[in-house]
Amino acid sequence: MTVAPPAARRDGAGRPVPPGSWLGWVSSTDHKRIGLLTVGTSLVLLLVFGVFALLMRTQLARPDETFLAAQAYDQLFTLHGSGMIYMVMTPFALGMGVYLVPLQIGAPGIALPRLTLLGYWLYALGALTMLAGFAAPAGAHAGGWFSYPPLADSAYSPGAGTDLWIAGVFVAVTGTILMGWAVLWTVLRRRTRGMTMLRLPVFCWAMIATCLMVIGAFPALLAALTLLAVGRADASVFLHNTWNIGYQHIFWFYGHPVVYVMFFPYLAAVAEVLAVFSGRRFFGYRGTALSLLVFAALSMSVWGHHMFATGQVANDYYSLTSIALLVPAGVEYFGMLGTLLGGRLRATTPMLFALAFLPQFLIGGLTGIMVGTPVIDYHVTDSYFVVAHLHYVLFAGSAFGLFAAVYFWFPKVTGTRLDDRMGRWHFWLLVIGTNLTFLPMFALGYLGMPRRVSTYAPFDGFGALNLLATIGAGFLAAGMAVFVVNVLATLRRCSLGRARPAGDDPWQAHTLEWATTSPPPRLNFPADRPLPPVTSFAPLLDLRRRERSGA
Amino acid sequence: MRQRHVFGTVFTLESAVAGLVFLVVLGLLTWVVVERRTQEASDRTERPRVEAFYVAALAAFAVFLVAWTAWQNSREPRTAVVRPLRVDVTGFQWCWTFAYPQSPAHRQVTGDCHGRSLPTLVVPAGRPVQLRLTSRDVIHSLWVPALRYKMDAFPRHVNTFTLTLDHEGRWRGRCAEFCGQRHYAMDFWIKAVPPERYDRWAHGAAAAV
Ligand code: HEM
Ligand SMILES: [Cu+2]
Ligand SMILES: [Cu+2]
Repeated sequence: MTVAPPAARRDGAGRPVPPGSWLGWVSSTDHKRIGLLTVGTSLVLLLVFGVFALLMRTQLARPDETFLAAQAYDQLFTLHGSGMIYMVMTPFALGMGVYLVPLQIGAPGIALPRLTLLGYWLYALGALTMLAGFAAPAGAHAGGWFSYPPLADSAYSPGAGTDLWIAGVFVAVTGTILMGWAVLWTVLRRRTRGMTMLRLPVFCWAMIATCLMVIGAFPALLAALTLLAVGRADASVFLHNTWNIGYQHIFWFYGHPVVYVMFFPYLAAVAEVLAVFSGRRFFGYRGTALSLLVFAALSMSVWGHHMFATGQVANDYYSLTSIALLVPAGVEYFGMLGTLLGGRLRATTPMLFALAFLPQFLIGGLTGIMVGTPVIDYHVTDSYFVVAHLHYVLFAGSAFGLFAAVYFWFPKVTGTRLDDRMGRWHFWLLVIGTNLTFLPMFALGYLGMPRRVSTYAPFDGFGALNLLATIGAGFLAAGMAVFVVNVLATLRRCSLGRARPAGDDPWQAHTLEWATTSPPPRLNFPADRPLPPVTSFAPLLDLRRRERSGA
Repeated sequence: MRQRHVFGTVFTLESAVAGLVFLVVLGLLTWVVVERRTQEASDRTERPRVEAFYVAALAAFAVFLVAWTAWQNSREPRTAVVRPLRVDVTGFQWCWTFAYPQSPAHRQVTGDCHGRSLPTLVVPAGRPVQLRLTSRDVIHSLWVPALRYKMDAFPRHVNTFTLTLDHEGRWRGRCAEFCGQRHYAMDFWIKAVPPERYDRWAHGAAAAV
């Protein structure tokens, strides 16, 4: 009797998957690969939904324009808004967490790696499902990113596009919830020796607050979508005002916290960049960590400010909780400005994006206080003022943080830096484009242009400002083209082996991910090199200081 | 309209404060970018006392803002006076109906919002008018930009608000809540006429106002 060697038995179960193949990528439980897949997918989708925005801006450039029919415009703004929120800014934020958090806390991997991978699959599947709506006979969903009933029910939105939208968003959000659990569990349970909670990098604190909101608030979106699905099966549900207004409550219980899910990780990326390129420890660390938690908690109590004009909520209460948010927000600015004020600045590309984040996000935040005041909101809600406000927060703010993060961590992830000159072109085109596009929209809303209109009349007097906004969108498109060329060219140089190696720590950074090789090995830290001792939330800074005083 | 004056005061105050904060931050940033390129980086990691005062100031400002705007806003409904004129407003895909239940001739104005055929909401200048707002199908929102006010129209629910137009004139109204394909065209006029003329019209005498 002979015993078959194990190799032979494995043969029957299929060939092993080569790690470099695409199958190797989508089946890997390495958190760095899952994180990169998530971030990469959201960057591609950012371009797709950005093209939608350009189409909309073209249609709106002149009054009575007929470039797009109303149906087409409505589908585009719905998928642009839903796509940017559910499929770009949220997944990118969590993807950054999946990639960076284990490295920053000195762990060899993520907790729950298979669940994380499942989360990515669900996210990718959901995004495809939502986009598949364009193949439906009546086109994609056209009810806006919050899709209020009864407009979104089967009587008023009969097409399959709406069903695909509900299914796609449901699946993708389930995926992001799984990622949220994995990242939170990792920070809480997988920290290396010496990494106490008060030595966590600011980015990890932001991910804790973010994941708490994901876990606490995102299930409400699943509930809202379920309600919508039930109402589409049984049209009598939305014959009751209770369910119409009820949907809005459930939706916005998710809808406000998600804004901070799309904010904290980018804010924290900016905070890391500011500290590193100011050559000093982050200022006001404890206040910032605490304010993130307070922020996350308060964020669950403000949802009614999206419903001031419904006449069916306690406006003064929601105004109080909303405006109270200016306290933790102010503390975060205190930390970031304090870091700069005592710093020695280096104007690298990531630093430029981080510096622009501060005043631009501030415009979003200050106008947020305005729309949080009912008297003002009655006038500007559902107008272009709100479109301007939300793009200042999400684009001029978070997306600038996103780019700061890309330029900052690119050398860690690939081993080489992005081109600096192209980075500067990207930056300046984006700064001009962003403000030219979105600043005029405040005025448009104030003057009376409602949001979600596919066209306007010549005598409305909206022509000049809209033209300015569309010209700004041209600058944005040019800037993004430079960015894409930069990334593709750098990646190509990498794969040809012609890239200049960046080294482990090209920026003199502070946190543990810079103590390993670029890119990090499978288990994150080389076995032959001990982790530097974790003496504070900036262990590498401490190490350099000790070396200097020892030498 | 009163609402408008409240809006003006609050909007001006908040814009001024926002502008000031923005300029201070921008000024700090400019100073930092110009001046902090060569100095040694400081080692200071915290300033708890400064931060505590700062937080207290922020909190006080937040409380002031909420209390003050709520107070400004609540002065408004108090002025709602005896027996306002009632108008029943119904939004539908994609236009409006304005019905006058108290008018002897049972006036009702509607249209289809195509081209120039916009319905006109006629009200007497100087008299309080109570709008009872609802919808026949999906959610709409009645917005008169010049009055700085809007309110949603829900199916199977009535929202009420009272306004007084203190002088004659004609303003554009719009639908502000996305309601389907012709949402962009769901406009109307609101027109304030002298009370006597309104009364004649309500009695069915004058055809056009
Ligand atoms: C991170 C990037 C962005 C995010 C997260 C974002 C998010 C959104 C959201 C949530 C909406 C509302 C959709 C709705 O009403 O249902 C929207 C609408 C819109 N966005 Fe963006 N956006 C981004 C970038 C841009 C850019 C770069 C442009 C301009 C080139 C742009 C132009 C527009 C336009 C024209 C609308 C439609 C406004 C309307 O018809 O009401 N967006 N966006
Ligand atoms: Cu909100
Ligand atoms: Cu509408």
